[in-house]
Amino acid sequence: MPNPLEIQHLKKFYGAGSFAVEAVRDVSFEVRPAEIFGLLGPNGAGKTTIISIVTTLEKPTSGSAKVFGEDVGVNPMFTKRQIGVVHQEVINSGYFDVEEILEFQSGYYGFRKNTERIHFLLHKLNLFEHRHKKVKQLSGGMKRRLMIAKALVHNPKLLLLDEPTAGVDISLRETLWDFVRELKKEGMSILLTTHYLEEAEMLCDRVGIINRGKVETMGPTKGIIKDFTQREMILTLNRGITVPKEMLLEKKENTYRILVPSDSNIGKVLTDLHVESSMIGDIEIIEGSLEQAFLRVLKTPEKSVKTKDIHL
Amino acid sequence: MMTTGFITLFMREIKRFMKVVVQTVVTPFVSSFLYLLVFGVSLGSQMRVHGGVPYLAFLIPGLMMMGLMNNAFQNSASSIVSSKFSGDLEDIRVAPITNQQIIWALSLGGVVRGGLVAFVTYLVGAVFYYLEQREVLAILHPVALIYFVIMGGLIFGMIGIAVAFWASNFDQLSAFSAFVLLPLTYLGGVFISVESLHPFWQMVAKLNPLLYLINGLRYGVLGVSDVDVALAVILSLIGFVVFYGVSLLALRKGSFQRW
Repeated sequence: MPNPLEIQHLKKFYGAGSFAVEAVRDVSFEVRPAEIFGLLGPNGAGKTTIISIVTTLEKPTSGSAKVFGEDVGVNPMFTKRQIGVVHQEVINSGYFDVEEILEFQSGYYGFRKNTERIHFLLHKLNLFEHRHKKVKQLSGGMKRRLMIAKALVHNPKLLLLDEPTAGVDISLRETLWDFVRELKKEGMSILLTTHYLEEAEMLCDRVGIINRGKVETMGPTKGIIKDFTQREMILTLNRGITVPKEMLLEKKENTYRILVPSDSNIGKVLTDLHVESSMIGDIEIIEGSLEQAFLRVLKTPEKSVKTKDIHL
Repeated sequence: MMTTGFITLFMREIKRFMKVVVQTVVTPFVSSFLYLLVFGVSLGSQMRVHGGVPYLAFLIPGLMMMGLMNNAFQNSASSIVSSKFSGDLEDIRVAPITNQQIIWALSLGGVVRGGLVAFVTYLVGAVFYYLEQREVLAILHPVALIYFVIMGGLIFGMIGIAVAFWASNFDQLSAFSAFVLLPLTYLGGVFISVESLHPFWQMVAKLNPLLYLINGLRYGVLGVSDVDVALAVILSLIGFVVFYGVSLLALRKGSFQRW
């Protein structure tokens, strides 16, 4: 079975000749069945351009985007039916109320009567009581939820979420995360772009970090964290030890903040430091985060970044 | 599925302009009322055109076509422009709806709105005509009337689509309306018969494609026309094909992304 989304050697340039702006430079990745793939990067990295190409809002300069094995440029009607998309900017329709908007959206996808699904989504996203309100009467969070409902009215197999929680408060974000997890459990494949890296760390099975139109690294979320971060160990002892300068972050009396590689064995580190179990008063391990890995990747010169787990 | 998408988009257009019925139907009604009152009743009460047609009767089909063309154009253009602002246009592009379906849905929306305005103008005109002439303003060639209403609505709906995709702001849209459509409409025989012009200006007036649509509809109502009706039918068909192509090109090349 083909992957829900396969991006192969995708390039998108705006303008021509020496004035050309390279928005996307030879990007390849895939979103696998029932996985959440996070496409992360700073502003202007090319994330939204990639989503625009997948949804046919933009045409690629070269390369291809395939949805369930079909090229979006060759068979757009097939690929569009498989995709639901939550755009980055909130909608602002002035004429219609929430329920009308969802009815029209259903109709675009061929559903004449879709009341059951619409009401299910309205309940699920806490919008049912607001279904007769116009968009301008909704709060920012409600508008975001409406956009998610719009993307899901036709029950797509691939969901593209372009910064779906931008400007949303933490409690609503948590609600949306739960909902996204539920969709994944139901078998939906999801491409997520976000600037909230803790969100990506919690939700994504795999992530790709993109910068200036190029994928800098890609792999399982935990793998990326492991490869690009170090753990901190806070060790309180009943007597002093000698810690190599490159490992020692801070020392206060007999409490040491020590940097240890993510893939190292803590027992071995303690042995190397000549710490016996009888000496340990307290020990705390602080794991690296995706945010640290992200910052590290963006600061690392391009050639030295490992790009792994790419399936072409 | 393809048909449902098209019907939905078409129904959305109808619902959209009905939500702002004051702007889309009542305002044209007031304009028609004033034009008929000032030009038709007050100034034109003593005038005859085409060897005996009262000026008020001559004016009514002209105003019907003028309202039809303006409203069909405005309907498509404002629908696209407001959708560009709201982001709705991105949703339409992302959905499995073809460019042809978009063109037909929007331009048929223009036909309905323009047709409604033309009908309201006819009703208002018919009342004035009855008060002045004490007789009913009968429609002599209903098939011709329906043909030119549909063709005028479709052509101007498609022009609206093309201009809205070309325009990058509201100013450009207004400029097209003010500097291209308005002069062509006013000089297209709405208010005067080209027969009353100097032969040179008659020749110039006959280069105006709107003259054929206006006179085609006038033939439908009154049975008189400044131009050959068969030629008006052929030119309107050519206009339909040309602007269908232009609007299709606009959708293929134009951006659906929000402003």
